[in-house]
Amino acid sequence: MFKRTKCFIVVVLPMTMALLITGLATNLVAQDKNPWTSEIDVARGQDMFERHCAQCHGMEAAGGEFGPDLSTGQFRHASTNAGLYRVIAEGVPNTEMIGWHRGRIGWTRSIWQLVSYLNSLNPRAGNLVLPGDSSIGKNLYQGKGDCTSCHMIKGQGGRLGPDLSIIADQRSPDEMKSDLLDPDEHVSPRWWSMRVTHLDGTKVEGIRLNEDTYSVRILDLDEQLWSFLKRDLRESQRIETSSMPSYRETLTDKEVDDVIAYLYTLRRE
Amino acid sequence: MIWEQRTDADDDPVVRHQRALLPLKKKGKMMITRYALAIVLLFAALTLDAQQSGSSSGTPTTPTPAFRPVTSERLLNADQEPQNWLMYSGNYKAQRFSGLDQVDKGNAHQLQMQWAYQLEALDRSESTPLVIDGVMYVTEAPSNVIALDAKTGRPYWKYEHDLPENLNFCCGRNNRGVAVLGDRLYMSTLDAHLVSLDAKTGNVIWDADVGDEGTGHSKTAAPLIVGDKVVTGIAGGEYGIRGYLDAYDAQTGERAWRFYTIPGPDHPDNRSWSGDSWRTGGSPTWITGSYDPDLNLVYWGTGNPGPDWNGDVRLGDNLYSDSVLALDGDTGEMQWYFQFTPHDIHDWDATQIPILADAEFGGRERKLMLFPNRNAFFYVLDREDGEFLLGTPYAKQTWAERLDENGRPVRAPNTAPTIEGTLVAPAVIGGSNWWSPSYSPRTGLIYVMAYDAEAEYFIREDEYVPGEHFVGGGGQQLEPETYVSAVRAIEPQTGERKWEYQVQTQSTSGLLSTAGDLVFGGTVNGFFFALDAHTGEELWHVSLGAKIHAGPMSYAVDGQQYITIAAGNVVFTFSLEDDSVDRQALGVGR
Repeated sequence: MFKRTKCFIVVVLPMTMALLITGLATNLVAQDKNPWTSEIDVARGQDMFERHCAQCHGMEAAGGEFGPDLSTGQFRHASTNAGLYRVIAEGVPNTEMIGWHRGRIGWTRSIWQLVSYLNSLNPRAGNLVLPGDSSIGKNLYQGKGDCTSCHMIKGQGGRLGPDLSIIADQRSPDEMKSDLLDPDEHVSPRWWSMRVTHLDGTKVEGIRLNEDTYSVRILDLDEQLWSFLKRDLRESQRIETSSMPSYRETLTDKEVDDVIAYLYTLRRE
Repeated sequence: MIWEQRTDADDDPVVRHQRALLPLKKKGKMMITRYALAIVLLFAALTLDAQQSGSSSGTPTTPTPAFRPVTSERLLNADQEPQNWLMYSGNYKAQRFSGLDQVDKGNAHQLQMQWAYQLEALDRSESTPLVIDGVMYVTEAPSNVIALDAKTGRPYWKYEHDLPENLNFCCGRNNRGVAVLGDRLYMSTLDAHLVSLDAKTGNVIWDADVGDEGTGHSKTAAPLIVGDKVVTGIAGGEYGIRGYLDAYDAQTGERAWRFYTIPGPDHPDNRSWSGDSWRTGGSPTWITGSYDPDLNLVYWGTGNPGPDWNGDVRLGDNLYSDSVLALDGDTGEMQWYFQFTPHDIHDWDATQIPILADAEFGGRERKLMLFPNRNAFFYVLDREDGEFLLGTPYAKQTWAERLDENGRPVRAPNTAPTIEGTLVAPAVIGGSNWWSPSYSPRTGLIYVMAYDAEAEYFIREDEYVPGEHFVGGGGQQLEPETYVSAVRAIEPQTGERKWEYQVQTQSTSGLLSTAGDLVFGGTVNGFFFALDAHTGEELWHVSLGAKIHAGPMSYAVDGQQYITIAAGNVVFTFSLEDDSVDRQALGVGR
């Protein structure tokens, strides 16, 4: 099956797609900036969502039988508010997601209010103003923070941590802060570590790429790939904490904000 | 028990393979005293390579890390490490020949499935995996890559390419494989991108836009590494694209050169297209080519002119559609071309993989190109200059009376598509198609999956609309159940058929030949089989339950040879049972 064809919100292919959607889109999205963002607008958006959208996307927008989770701030088919607006207005072709623009008076505002409601579920989708300085953060990332030794951005950097090329599409600034200060708080099993001793005494420790009943695959600290049958192991230990140190002592609060400001620039182009 | 310490040399794939050739005493054969046994075991432990003993037969191996960067030199000398499968067709000559001979005529009937990996995408798999030092890279529809442990079929990681909606592509959501250079993989994607991935994690290194997916450009073929460049083609012959072949800097993703397969108006060959028909003339490059490093020539087949079946709107030979091109690997400049089907009106793309072979021809050693074309003729060319040496039908054909002394077909009358339909052989799918043939340097024979069939060909008016089908007719088989496929072994020097193995009713499988003198292939109804490369005698078959529409390949890990084929959406891997494996025998048999 064509994975994700049922995902409802299309990645905006920046300019080309925008140009393809000619006059109609121009009229629908009078401007990229959402003019309807007050608390009342959010409430009205929520009201509309629960009446029109929740049957597919769930009452909390966390995903339902037919529609994906819209509460994470990560949208498969939109990375800007204007993109969200367009998907709601026009739908996603060849999926159950129909367009909600019916040419009726007042729908422009209603759709923007839906956008505001979705933004309110997670601040990532909006255009946040962050306290940090991204250029200082970039220097900290590459220098004092030594992040590049474990993380890749567009092919540059290490392999022992998650690729951060589009981290801003995946984690909110608050989550990034938690990741930096309390890395053990939420460690995805994808980033658990493994320490194994082979029957012949060979010891390997590294990131647990994949594990099943009978075998395990590891990317070791020298970034070498290993595959073991468990019956060939004398010992194995799974480490469910993060291999990243906390930056609570290493970076000041201001520096943490700067790094987050930099990370927040890393999103789909 | 004492085992030797691991050294850097242990990581070297060549060393690992050479050590796999070391003698190994089989267990239970030494009727000696306990004391002597202890000494022998100690000695054996100190000298044995870890690769020798299969983990499933009891004693664990000394583990070594998987995957080492694949240098240009390794690619150039791919034949010297037959335990790996480093590029789509196995080597630059695109012979799809494995130098492994552990599985041979005597034991092929003992092949057993070792593991299966089910791809999530339900589309039929067309992928030929690569194997690099124990890691298998297999692609999944539409444009995903999975890294597997080649010994167990268990995953390391998976990359899933984001695709836009509403893509226009001809023939299924397919991908046929990746290329590797250094520690990076390269993959074509259905939205006409070329992505570079980190081979250890699947992280995206770069993502280059090769064509406009909105106007019917797409990509499914495995790229080919040439020096420090990634050479890659484009599909879209049914959408009125103007075809090209590209090379990208492997490090940066910057385009190094582009060769348009339809010359522009500043070139005299542009006059082989009437009017402006060249602008929408197709001639795509949708399957992988081959490469001669000594001549520094990249060889690539080109597809049909567009619209496929209505030649009235594109009078002329329609250069360089349905041709094989020889391009300079550094600059992309064309050195020569050979057009198999001038002014094609039956959709007989020349997107077969040019097989390169160094063999005697006409009384002297020559650098040959062997090309079983979709138009049902088998061609032999001199790959230095494109000289036509031989052309003879290898499958049923009724469209040409003969080839002239230059290899140009003399068409039979009344074979053009008509409004009512004209019955012509081969069928639209051709005497063969993109599925790989194989050449064994041991037998000197080329093996091709041929199809004897015919079709009614129709012509229709068509109007070019960007992004929409632009084909001008069609073809249909009248009695497909009466047609047959056959593996045919052809002698390049004469074009003579040495043997054939008939498949009922059809096969769209690639072929693999091995140093064990076997030929592997499959069928649309899910059988996978092994034949004697000398005689065509069937030695083994198994029912895999789903269409085989991919190419087989072979590799080895820890001294054990494996054969892999995708059937339906499952990747199956076979080997001899552990106890029957004589690892001494694993060698380079060419």
